[in-house]
Amino acid sequence: MSFDFLDITSYNLLLLVVALPLLGATLIGLITQDTRSARTVAIGTSVLTFIVSVAIAVQFDVSNPSIQLVQVLPWISSIGATFSLGVDGISLVLVLLTTLITPLVLISSWDVSDRPRGYLAAFLALEATVLGVFLATDLLAFYVFFEASLIPMYMIIGIWGGANRRYAAVKFFLYTLFGGLLMLVAILSLYALTATSGAGSFAYSSVLALDIPVETQRWLFLAFFVAFAVKVPIFPVHTWLPDAHTEAPTGGSVFLAAILLKMGGFGLLRYCLPLFPEATQEFVPWILALSVIGVLYGAVVALVQKDIKKLIAYSSVSHMGFVVLGTFALNATATSAAVVQMVNHGLSTGALFLLIGFLYERRHTRMIADFGGLAKSVPVMAGLWLLVSMSSLALPGLNGFVGEFPILLGTYQAAPWAGVLSAFGAVLAALYLLWAYQRMFHGPLLTDDNRNTPDLHAREIGVLAPLVVLIVAIGVFPKPLFDTVEPSVARVLSEAGVAAAPAAVGDTAQSE
Amino acid sequence: MNLLATIVDVTAPSGPIDLAWSAFAPELVLSATVMILLLLLVAGRMRALVAGVCGVGVLVVGVLLTVLGDGAGVALDAAGAVVESNGIQGDPFLGGVLVALGIAIVAIPVGLAGTPRLIGPWIAGAGTAAALALTVWQLGTVLFSPGGLATPLVTAGGSVALDGIAVLTRLTVLVTLVLVIPMGYGYLRDRNIARAEVEPLLLLSAVGMMALGAANDMITMFIALEILSIALYVLAGIARRDRRSQEAALKYFVMGAVASAILLYGVALLYVATGTLDLPTMALRLQLAGTPVAISAIGMGLVTVGVGFKIAAVPFHLWTPDVYQGAPTNITAFMAAGTKAAGFALVLRLYLLTFAPLSDLWVPLVAVAAAATMLYGAVAAIVQHDVKRILAYSSVAHAGYALIGVVAGGDAGVSSTLWYLLTYAVSTLAAFGVVIAIERQRRGEVTLSTLRGLGRTSPILAGVLSVALLSLAGIPPTAGFAGKLAVFQAGVGAGFEWLVLLGVLSSVIAAFFYLRVIGAMFLEEPVEGAVELLPSDGLSLSLTLAAAAVGVLGILPETVLDFATRASQIAQ
Repeated sequence: MSFDFLDITSYNLLLLVVALPLLGATLIGLITQDTRSARTVAIGTSVLTFIVSVAIAVQFDVSNPSIQLVQVLPWISSIGATFSLGVDGISLVLVLLTTLITPLVLISSWDVSDRPRGYLAAFLALEATVLGVFLATDLLAFYVFFEASLIPMYMIIGIWGGANRRYAAVKFFLYTLFGGLLMLVAILSLYALTATSGAGSFAYSSVLALDIPVETQRWLFLAFFVAFAVKVPIFPVHTWLPDAHTEAPTGGSVFLAAILLKMGGFGLLRYCLPLFPEATQEFVPWILALSVIGVLYGAVVALVQKDIKKLIAYSSVSHMGFVVLGTFALNATATSAAVVQMVNHGLSTGALFLLIGFLYERRHTRMIADFGGLAKSVPVMAGLWLLVSMSSLALPGLNGFVGEFPILLGTYQAAPWAGVLSAFGAVLAALYLLWAYQRMFHGPLLTDDNRNTPDLHAREIGVLAPLVVLIVAIGVFPKPLFDTVEPSVARVLSEAGVAAAPAAVGDTAQSE
Repeated sequence: MNLLATIVDVTAPSGPIDLAWSAFAPELVLSATVMILLLLLVAGRMRALVAGVCGVGVLVVGVLLTVLGDGAGVALDAAGAVVESNGIQGDPFLGGVLVALGIAIVAIPVGLAGTPRLIGPWIAGAGTAAALALTVWQLGTVLFSPGGLATPLVTAGGSVALDGIAVLTRLTVLVTLVLVIPMGYGYLRDRNIARAEVEPLLLLSAVGMMALGAANDMITMFIALEILSIALYVLAGIARRDRRSQEAALKYFVMGAVASAILLYGVALLYVATGTLDLPTMALRLQLAGTPVAISAIGMGLVTVGVGFKIAAVPFHLWTPDVYQGAPTNITAFMAAGTKAAGFALVLRLYLLTFAPLSDLWVPLVAVAAAATMLYGAVAAIVQHDVKRILAYSSVAHAGYALIGVVAGGDAGVSSTLWYLLTYAVSTLAAFGVVIAIERQRRGEVTLSTLRGLGRTSPILAGVLSVALLSLAGIPPTAGFAGKLAVFQAGVGAGFEWLVLLGVLSSVIAAFFYLRVIGAMFLEEPVEGAVELLPSDGLSLSLTLAAAAVGVLGILPETVLDFATRASQIAQ
C-alpha cells in the first residue's frame, strides 16, 4: 500500500534528523584538518538537517493531534527502554526552529578563531541532543538527550565564552544537572509504577496510561517541574541564565535563548501536564504566581541593566514567564499561543543576540553607555535592531503580538489577576527595549568609535534575513503556525483533564 | 590441620569431594600463570627452556581435555579422586583455551628473546586473556544454559559457588587486569620500579579477588581476602625509594591487617552463634529461634568493619586517599577497580544471603552508611587538588552508590550492583590511565595545575579523561550513567527514594569537582612550555579499550546488562 511506503520513509527521517548532526560532528572530529573544510561540513550538515526537517513537516499530518511518524528501535530491552522517536505539532515547530537556527548560528560564527573545529562540532552535537529531546517518546531516551545536551553547552560557554566563563559554565551545568537528576528519580518512580502491572516500561504511551494517585502525582510533578523550571527558567531558579547568556559566545547565546530554553517549555507541555493532570491543576495558582513574578521581575531588572546582553538575558526571563503563564492558563487560546510564543521568542531574541554579537565584534564592548547615535553610522543594523525589538515587545503586525496577546487574553480568562499583572510586563518590555534602542542608536554621534563603526556586511545580513522574514510573516499570517500546534495542544489539554479529547483524524500511527 | 578439618567439616560428607574444576577454571589458569611467571623469574638464562616445559605442560592438559572431553572428568572420577558434577568440566572449549595458552607461553619467550623484560607482562596478559575467555565461557554456560541459574552450582564441599556474583566479579576483575597490565609496564619502567614481581603479584591478587567473588564459606572468604590483600600490600610499596609509596604500603598493611583481624573475630563469633562457616547454612541457622541474636549481631558488626574497609565505605575509608595517592598509579587503578568489585561481591553474598535473616538490623545501618559514604566522598573531593586524591574520594563516593544496590536487595539490587561495579571499573581505569600518561611525561604529581590547558596541548588525552570523568559523574550517554541508572532504579523500586535523592544530591556535588578537572583542561590556558603528551603503546591500547568500553556500555548496554540481569540469583 502506498501508505506503508510513506510510513517507511518517514521513519527513517526522524532518526536521520537526529543522527545527521551527530554524524557531522564526528566527521569534523575525525576527518577535517582545517577550519575551511570543517566549516563546509558543519554548515552543509546543518542545512541538510534543515531540509530533512522540512521533509518531516511535509509528511506530518497537521490535522492529527497524536504523536506521529513514530519509530521504535530496540535499545535496552532488559529494562524496558526503547529508542523511540515521534513528532507532534508542538515538537514539529520546535524541531523546525532548531534546524533553522543552527545553520544561522554556524554561519554567524564564521570568524571564531579559537579551536573553530571544536566549536562547530560542539554546536552540531548540541543540535542532535536538542532534536532528541523534542523527538524522544521514551522517557529514558528523553532523559539521556536532556542531560547529554549539557556537555556541549558547557564546553561552548566554558571554552569560547567571556571573562567569567568558567563560573557561568559550571553554574549552568550544576543547576540543570540537579533539576535533571530529580527528574530521573521521578522517571524511575514512573517506571516502578508501570512495573506493578506487567513489564516495566519507559515508553511515553505506557506511562501516560498510568492512573497515578494524587499524592504520588504531587511529588512526581514537582520533580519534573523543577527540572523544566530550571531550563525555562522560571523565577526563582533563573539565576544561571543571565550569567550563561552574558558569558556565552554569540552563537551560544543565540542557541541558548532560541532553543535550549524551549526544552523547558516543551517538557512542561509534553510531560508535566499530561502525566500529572490532578497535580497540575492543584499547582496552577502557584505556578501562575511564579510566572507573574518572573515576568515583572525580569522586566524591571532588565530596565536597569547597563550591559545590553544582560538586558536581553533578563528580558528572556520575562518573556519566558509569558510562555509558562500561557501554558498553565490551561485553555486552548493561551496554551496554543504559548507554543507560538516559544517560536517567536526564539526568532526575535535569537536575532537580538545575533545583532549584539555583531556589534560586539565591531566594538568589543556591550555597555549601553559606550554607544549613542549609531543610527547614523550603521543604519542597516539600526533598522533591523528596531524591527526585532518591536517584535520582541509585541508590536501588532509582528510575530510577538500574535503570541503575547492571546496569552494575556487566555490568562485573563483563567485568572484575571495574573492577566492584569502580567500585562504590565508587556508595557515594561516596550520601555526597556525602546529605551535601550534610543540610548544606543539615537542622539548625537559623540565619539570616534561610534562614528567609525562599520555597518553590517552581506553575510551578517544574510544570517538575519530568514529570521526577519519569519518575524514579519508570522506577524502578518500566523494561521499555519497556529494550525500546526492547536490540535496537539488540544490533545495535551484533554490529557491534562481540562478539555474534551480532540477528534483523532486519519490513520497515522498513534504513539505505540 | 585436624583443627581446621573439624571446623570446616561439620556438615561435609566423608568420601570423595565433589569437585567441579571448571567452576573455578579462571582462577586455576591464572594461578598456573603466576607459577610459570615465578619460575621464569628464577630461571635466568634457562628462561626459554622453562617456558617451553611449562607451555607444553599446559598444552598437554588442554589437549587431554579436548580429546577426552567429558572423559577427563570420568577418568578422574573412576580414579576415585573427585566426583564429577553438572558435566561441564570436560568441555572442548576449556581445552582449546589451554592449548592456545600453552602455545603462547612457548612462543612469547622465543618471540621476545631480544627484550626479555617484556616476557613477564606478555605472559601475564596471555594468562589473563585465557582466564577472561574461560569467564566468558562460564557466562555462557552458567547464565544462558537452559533454566539459567535455577540451580546455581556449589562445589568443592560447598566452599565455592558458581553463580552470577562469582562470574560477573571474575569478568570485572579480569577486565580490570587486562587493562592494567599494558597500562602499567612502561610507567613502572620510567619510574625505575619495573620489577618482575609486579605481574605475578597482580595476577595473584586477581586470583584472590575472583576467589572472594566465589567464596561460599567463611574460610575460603578469609583466605581469598588475604591473598588479594597481601599481594596489594606489596604492590603498594613497590616504589621502594618513594616515601609516599612506602607510607601507602605501611598504612594499607597496618590498617588492612587490623581490619582482617576484626573480621576474623567476627567470623569466630558467627561460628560460635551458628556452629557453621558455610554461608548458606549460616543463613538457615540464623533464622532459627535458638540462635543467639546478640552474638550473631556483634559478629555481623565486626565482619562489617572488615568488609567496609575493603570497599572503602564511610567510616572505614580513612586509608583510601593516602594509599591511592602514594601507591604507583597502575596499582591504584587496579586497587580501585578490582578491590571494589571483589569487596562488593563479598558484601552481596554476605548481606543478601547470609545476613538476610538479620536484615532488620543491617538495612538501616547500611543505608545510613551508603548515604554518608556518597555525601562524604563527594564533599571531601571538592577541596582536593591532586587528581589521584580526587579519584580516591570519588572511589569512596562510588562505594556509596553501589551500596544503594545492596540496600535495595532482591534481584534488581544484586544485578544493579554487579553492573555498577563493571561500569565504575572501566571509567576509573580510563581516568587513571590518563593520569599515568601525564605522570610519565611530566614526572611528579598530577594536580589540577599540571592539567591546565591539556585540552589544547593533548586534546585526545584530555578528551579521554573528560569522558571518564563524565562517566564517573554519571552523565549520559556514558557507562557511568547506565550504572547509576541501574542502582537508582533498584533503590526506587525497593522504596528507598530518600537514599536515591541523597544520591542525586551527592551526584550534583560530585559533578562539581569532576567539572573542575575538565575545566582545568579545557577552559584554562596551558602553562608555559607545555609539551604534547602521547601515551605509549601499551597505554594507548588500554586507554582506547577503556574509553571504548565507557562509550559502548553507556550507549548500547544491552548485552552486558543482560548478563548482570541474569546474574541476580545467589547460590544457596
